[in-house]
Order: sequence, then C-alpha cells, then structure tokens
Amino acid sequence: MNRFAFLTLYRSLTRHRLYAALNIGGLAIGIAVFLVLGLYVRFETSYETWLPRHNQVYLVQTVWNMPDSPFNGAYPNTMGGLLEEMQADFPGLSGTRINNVGATVLRGGIGTAEDLAWVDSQFFDLFDLTMLQGDGARALAAPSNVLIDANIAHKYFGTTDPVGQTLTLNIGAGTAPYRVAGVFAPLPRNTDLKFTMLTRIPKGAPQGNEDWWYRWGSTSVNTYLRFPDPAAAKAFAARMPAFVVRHGTADLGANADKTMQLTLLPLADHHLTPAGREMASVRQTIVTLGIVGVLTLLIAIVNYVNLATARAGLRAREVAMRKVLGASRGTLVRQFAGEAILTTALAALLALALAELGLPLVNAAAGLTLSIPYALVVPALVVLAIVVGMGAGLYPAVLLSRFPAAAVLASARSPGGGRTGARLREMLVVFQFTLATAFIIGTFVLVAQTRHLRQADLGFARDGLIVIKSGAGLSEGQQSTMRDAIGGLPMIRSVAMADTAAGGFGNNNANNIEIPGRPGEGPSLREIVVGRNFFTTYGARVVAGRLFDDRHGTDDSNGTKGTENRAIVINRTAVPMLGFRSAQDAVGKTVGKGRPRTIIGVVDDMRFFSPHVPMDATYYTYWSRYLGAPVITVRYAGPMDAAMDAVRATWRKIAPEVPFDAAPADQDLAKLFAADDHAANLFTIGSVLAVLIGCVGLWGLASFNTSRRVKEIGIRKALGASSRDIVRLLVGQFLRPVLMANVIAWPLAWVAMRHWLAGFSDRIALSPLYFVAATLLALGIAVVTVLAQSLRASRATPAWALHHE
Amino acid sequence: MIRLENIQRRYVSDDVETTALADINLEVAAGEFVAIMGPSGCGKSTLLNTLGTVDRPTAGRYLFGDRDLVALNEAELARFRAMTLGFVFQSFNLIDELTIAENVELGLIYRQDSGGDRKARVAAAMDRVGVSHRARHFPHQLSGGQQQRAAIARAIVGEPKLILADEPTGNLDTENGQQVMDILTSLNAEGATIIMVTHSPSHADIARRRINMLDGRIVASLARAI
Repeated sequence: MNRFAFLTLYRSLTRHRLYAALNIGGLAIGIAVFLVLGLYVRFETSYETWLPRHNQVYLVQTVWNMPDSPFNGAYPNTMGGLLEEMQADFPGLSGTRINNVGATVLRGGIGTAEDLAWVDSQFFDLFDLTMLQGDGARALAAPSNVLIDANIAHKYFGTTDPVGQTLTLNIGAGTAPYRVAGVFAPLPRNTDLKFTMLTRIPKGAPQGNEDWWYRWGSTSVNTYLRFPDPAAAKAFAARMPAFVVRHGTADLGANADKTMQLTLLPLADHHLTPAGREMASVRQTIVTLGIVGVLTLLIAIVNYVNLATARAGLRAREVAMRKVLGASRGTLVRQFAGEAILTTALAALLALALAELGLPLVNAAAGLTLSIPYALVVPALVVLAIVVGMGAGLYPAVLLSRFPAAAVLASARSPGGGRTGARLREMLVVFQFTLATAFIIGTFVLVAQTRHLRQADLGFARDGLIVIKSGAGLSEGQQSTMRDAIGGLPMIRSVAMADTAAGGFGNNNANNIEIPGRPGEGPSLREIVVGRNFFTTYGARVVAGRLFDDRHGTDDSNGTKGTENRAIVINRTAVPMLGFRSAQDAVGKTVGKGRPRTIIGVVDDMRFFSPHVPMDATYYTYWSRYLGAPVITVRYAGPMDAAMDAVRATWRKIAPEVPFDAAPADQDLAKLFAADDHAANLFTIGSVLAVLIGCVGLWGLASFNTSRRVKEIGIRKALGASSRDIVRLLVGQFLRPVLMANVIAWPLAWVAMRHWLAGFSDRIALSPLYFVAATLLALGIAVVTVLAQSLRASRATPAWALHHE
Repeated sequence: MIRLENIQRRYVSDDVETTALADINLEVAAGEFVAIMGPSGCGKSTLLNTLGTVDRPTAGRYLFGDRDLVALNEAELARFRAMTLGFVFQSFNLIDELTIAENVELGLIYRQDSGGDRKARVAAAMDRVGVSHRARHFPHQLSGGQQQRAAIARAIVGEPKLILADEPTGNLDTENGQQVMDILTSLNAEGATIIMVTHSPSHADIARRRINMLDGRIVASLARAI
C-alpha cells in the first residue's frame, strides 16, 4: 500500500462516517464477543496446565460396571490404600494420593474449618507447587508438619513469620499440634484441586477408616500417578485388569475386572470429564460457547464482506481511474486487502476496548474472573486482523479489481457486482440470519430450561430449609442435644438428620435388592438413611402407604442386623424398578431375599442432586438414634437470617469445637445449576450481540441497495406506484432472505437444542413455540431495520429521483 | 506512431451480439491532433478505450511504435498506460478522497517515479493548467472547469506520448470548454499527440484531422488544411 492508499482509506472512513461506524463497529463487536468467549474457553481448558509436569500426571479412575447400578460410570476416586498396593506390585511407581479430609483449626476453643488435604511424601514429584517459604518435599517427610498457603498464613499469623509456628488441627478423629514447615502460593483459579493446607497421609489405614481403607470397591481418595511419557502410562494401564483380579477378587468377587476397572485420565483432562452418570455438561457448554464465539465473528466477517462488496460499486469509478492511470490488478488487490486489514485492525483495537469495558459485566453474569492477558491477546489480535482482513477483504478486493475500466468509465451507472454480486449478498444475509435466528431459538430454549430448573418441582419445598453440613463432627450425645435444642427454637418448625440432604451432600450408597421370583441380584437402588421427622421436614408427598412412625416399632432399623427384615419407604422411580405395577401395588410387599425389606410407603421423587444426573430409584431406612455422619436439615418460618443466627448460636453453645457449616437449601441447590445459569447468560449475551451485528449488516445493505435504486423508484412512481407499493417492494425484498434463513435455522436449532437438552435429566419439552417466536422476532427486527430507509426512499419525489445518479 | 489493423470489438451478452467496432484501420502519426466524431453509439468511446488499452479488441492488431499491444498481458498493459498514456474524461473522474495535487500525482506513483521528481512534475503540471492554487482542495470543492483542468494536469504530468480525451468539454460551459481546448491545442503545439472524441464540430475543427464514425466503422477521415 502506498501513502495515497492510506490517505484514501482514512478520508473514505471519515467522509462516510455511518458506513465506517457500521463496518468497524460490527466487526469490533464480533471480535469482542470472540475474544471474551475465547478467554472463557481458554480458562476452562487450562485447568491444571499451570503445573510444570502436568502432562506426565494421570488420575486413576474407578470405572464401575454393575448391573442396573445407579453409580455406573467412571469416578475420579479410588480405594484409600490403592497406591500402596500398586507400589508393592510395581516398584518405582511414582504417585501420590490427595485425600481432602478437611481440618478444624482450633484456637481458643473455637474451631474453624479449613481445606486440608492428606498427601503422600512424593506429592511434590507430581504437583510441583510454588513454594514461597520452606522446602515442600522435605516438609512432607515428617508427619507432624503442615504446609499452608499464603492466605492461611496471613489469616492465622498475620505478618509474623509462619514457618516454625504451631497450629492445633483436628483431622478426622484426633487433635494434635502441627508445625508449619512451609508456605506455598495459593492455587490459581483454574484448578480442581481444593486445598489450602497439606500434611502427610498416615501410614496404613487412618483411624476410623480401618473398615474400608483397603476394601476394594470403596472410593475415598484421589490417586495420581506419574509416568515419563504416554506410552509408559498406556503400558501401565494395560496391566490393570490383572492387577484388579489379583487384589480385588476377594472383595469384588469373581469377574472383579469386569465389575470394576482402573483407568488413567491425563490430569489436564480431568476438569472436562464428567464423573459417573453426570452428563458431559461442562465440555458441552465450552464447545457451545466456543462455537457461539466463532460464529459471531463469522457473522461479523460476513457483514464486512457484504458491506464492502455493496460499497464496491460506489468505488468502481475510482478503481477504473486507477487502472487507467496504470495500476495493475495486483496493485489494486493489495490496496483493497490492505484497506481491509487496516480496517480490521481498527476494529480489533476497538474490540479490545469493548472487551475491557464489557468484561466486568460478563464476569458478573457468568460467575467468572476473566481478565485480558495483553501479552497474549495483542499478538493474537494482530494475527486475527491479518487473517480476518485477508479473509474479509479478499473477495471485495478481487471483485473491485476486476471491474472493467472501459465499461465503468463509459457507463453512468456504477456496477454493483452484477446479478452475481446481488445474489451473493442475499446469500450472505441468509447465512447471517440463519445463525442469528438459530441463536434466538437457542436463547429462548436455554432461558426456559434454566428457569425451569430454578422453578421445577423437586418433590419437596425448597424454601425455608437450612442444611447444616458439618454434623459429622458431632458425638452421639451432641447429636440428640443439638436436635432437641434447635427444634426448640421458636422459629424452627422441625429438624431432621439423614446421611444425605438437598444439594447432594452426604453419602452415596447403593444396594442390590433381589426381586422375589426373579433370578439375579436385582436392581441396585440408592439407600438414604434417615432419622426422625425427615419426610415432614422436607414436606415429601406420600403417593401410597405411610411414612416412618415411632408408633410402629418395626419401622426403626436401630438394633436390627442387615439380614433381618427392615421397613423401607421407596420413591416413585423405584416402583417399576422393583417390578411393581403401581405405588399401591408396592405397599406391604417384601423385597430382597437374604436381606428382606418391607415397603411401607411410596413418596414422590425428591431431587437432591444435580439436574444433569438421572433421578435415582431410592429406598429410605429409618434409624431413630445415632447416625454416623448426619447432614442436618432444619425447616424454619420467618426470615432466614434470624433462623440462621439462632441455629448458629445454639450450635456454638453445644459444640463450639465443631465448625458450623450451613447454608439455605435453595442456595445449595442453586449451585447445582449455577454453571448452566452462567452458560445461559453467556450464550444470551453472545446471541444478542450476534443478532445486533446481523441487523447492522442488514441495515447497511438496505441502505446501499435503496440508494442504488432511487432512480428505479422514481420510474416506478412516475408510472403510478404509491409510496406504500414502494415500501412493500423494498421491505418484501429484504424479508425474503430472512424468511429463507428461518427455514434453514429451524432444523439446525432443533438438532442443537435437542442435543443440549439431552444433557439434563429434568428438562423442558422442545416446543414449536420457541421456533415461531424466534421467527417472528427475527422478522420484526428485519422489518424495523429496513423500514425507515424504505419509507424515506418511497417518499422521494419522482422528478428528483429520476435525475439522481 | 499508432497503427490499428482490422480492429474488431464485439460484445456478447446473453443472446445479443453487438458489434462496437468493425474492421477499423487507422494510422496516427506522432504530433497529430485527431478528433473522432459521430452519433451516439457509433463506437467512438470504444475506439478511444481500445487505443487506451482499457478495452481489448476481439480481433486485429494494435501497433504502438513497433510493439503489438494485443499480445501484452494485464500487468504489461498497466505499465504501458502508466508510462505512455494520458487520459481526459467528460466526467473528469477525479478520485474524491484525494486532493487535486494527490490526484495529479497518482499516476506517477504507479510509474514508481521518485518522490522529489514527482513533486516537481506535479507542480509544473498544475501550473501549466492553472490549478496550482487549488492543490490542497478536494475535487468537490472545485468548479467543473477547474476539475477538468486538474484532470488534464493529471493526464500530462507524466509527459505521455499520447493523450486520449473523451468528450473533454462535454460537461463544461462554453467558456470553460474553450479554456480546455486552448490547453489541448497548446499541448499539441508543443508536440503532444492527441486523440479526442467530441460532439462539438467547432472543437473538432481545432484538430488537424477529423475522423467520422458510423455503426462501428470509420466512414471518413478528413485532414484540415493548415
């Protein structure tokens, strides 16, 4: 590009400000959306990649494959003692366990819960955390050392040097002093590792875990292994079935390697790999939003091409003159491609400003903390400007440089790329509006689905519940005192303990229940152990039979052995699973051969878990006294804060050494679909902007087409057409591509949304209303976009129009 | 200097074939001032465009000196135009985004002339046609006559061997038209070869030779007695 090419571009942009604003603004919005969504995708796909040796580290997955089990699938946890057994069989194997046991830091009799993890002494070989003070690997040699992150150091020691200080920690069963031996940098946000303190895992089974630490089938810790290369990992994985048979047959029975497999998952893949039956929602969300980003950019590029080719006609004379003066085609192509690159660069600069301004909003809407890494983004934008500039500028450049100089100079009319050009522009509008309409449909469905999740009937009243998750720290005596004391508070309606609570806290247990008269072990059902008032506290709906009642002595499982008959309540999903035709039919029946269970009632399904997980067939057993590790649910009346304060005060009085970890149930439940909410918000933002860019394109195109047709309009009016005829002609012409776009968008959106909804166990129906509404909206937007110009054109007096060139 | 042999130009669009030039044979010597006349659609502009190499003949030979231009490719033709030709149009065809001085300079840039040399030539050319005081203005700020004079400055700035003018006075009033003709006449007097399409018999009379065209053919070639 020579100096004059720059000048021409600068003056052309400043002279045709509206055109410049549409073109650069549209492209800038497109790039900004692409940039922000790109940052989001980069963040989500960068989990654990900050670790220096992350590509050598693998997570051991336990893969269950049992008949009809609600827990089939791959899980990131393993048996506690697995690593020890592996290292015994494979000497030299490098690995560590991470067991997020948590700890209570005791100071002045008050306990504060902290995220402490037990790890093996080889931990730093795999997870090379940045040490701010001390030597991490050496610190883990002594079991009485603790490593803390900088935030914990600041929290407990302020400005004093923490190294060498003592912290009194209650980890699991015992309380002991620990010496702070080092400080590590707080973990970044792009990690699934959740700890702020590390100590060495005890040798052998930790106290209280003896029963299951070495029992195959239990899953309690994360086990990580390190291999020098993928081939070594693959070779190791191939030896796993034999290893499982060797060690696991005693616990898992014959075919242990069929029932349970051990597989290796590269560490960086863990974040996007769903656990168990969870649908692959995170990965899907990332892919979807990545696609939205790319498509929005594509719409913006199409916009540029469209406006540039439309305007090309107006520059035909300039091009012809340049040719006459001796410019070759190559020179012209270079000039126009250069203009496109410069324009894109301007747009990229503006996009950067837009992204910087918009990022706080996006972060708030999507629960993110993204920031723009300029060192990475600026070079990326330079490349983008060149690539997009070339991509977007090449067609207009070739088109412009091809105009025959003689014809252009001889003709009074400017060529607009001919019929092919017009058809191409119409096709581009169809393309833009196809995506825009599909986005609108997608937004409608997403918003409807997330609304549905927030308002769906969970089978219990989600308002007015507080869930206390730290009940496991209470002794048997404290449990009953706590229950009675909280239950006695004026605003508390009832208190229930169970091993599971709304929000998915607590245990995951499943048992096979044989169906009398049928061969095999029977289906596997989730078991939830409940205490007194469980169903009334949740407000469960009885479908048939009755609930647990102390007046029926046989309801209480306390004191019974597993082989004795127990009373159970089942949920609606379990009815057909256990072979009953109806809930009524199930009541009074006894299932399970060696471990008989008599069904006394059926309740509606209560959804405690993620909406991405299918509803489990569940049975409940009743234990009137001590529960091992209860989650406490409290139903209150009146304001939440008052209830929470009163419960907290009672808790502190009875068990000050046990941290009080509680939240309203609706808050915990909201976390289960927070990711979906955030994704829906990001999608909506992206879609609205994509539609906006589409409108900018349509507006610009309408503007150029209308101005090119002024003379034609004059002729039509001179021949007797009314203004209304003209408006109908012009608007109708623009509605045609929009309507065509809808025809294409419907099946596209239908397939995409059906796929997305399949990721939810509890989902809305894909109603045609969303499609019709989106089409009407797209048409409405299109009409509004082109109407003003059509009206103006239609009002021009024929005499003026006929002289218009 | 110029020799056209059996030049034909046919346009084919859908089913219609139009013959714009049929068997044109023409010789123009260096230093000549030739006027082409004829009714609308007779092929005047096509002939001029063919001479200017912005339109390619369907058949025939176009010899400029001893070069056959028909054999040249696009890039060679562009170079040829930049080095050899100057164009003047009825509708001026100045580039709106460039100032008068920049418009005049543009052709030299495509010739890749050096910067200092360009400045001097541009100044001289604008001075020659009397638009120096308008150098920093944009085309739309000038009257029609001034724009056409600027266009002539652009045509002559590279000292072309041949100036092609397509109805250069067509959009001008009598006075401005006369001024433009005076400039062309003096350029010719200084040795420039000029071929001009015109509708005006009086302007045609200024030329030393008049060619009359009809239906794509040259029907008469009359030399004016000097």
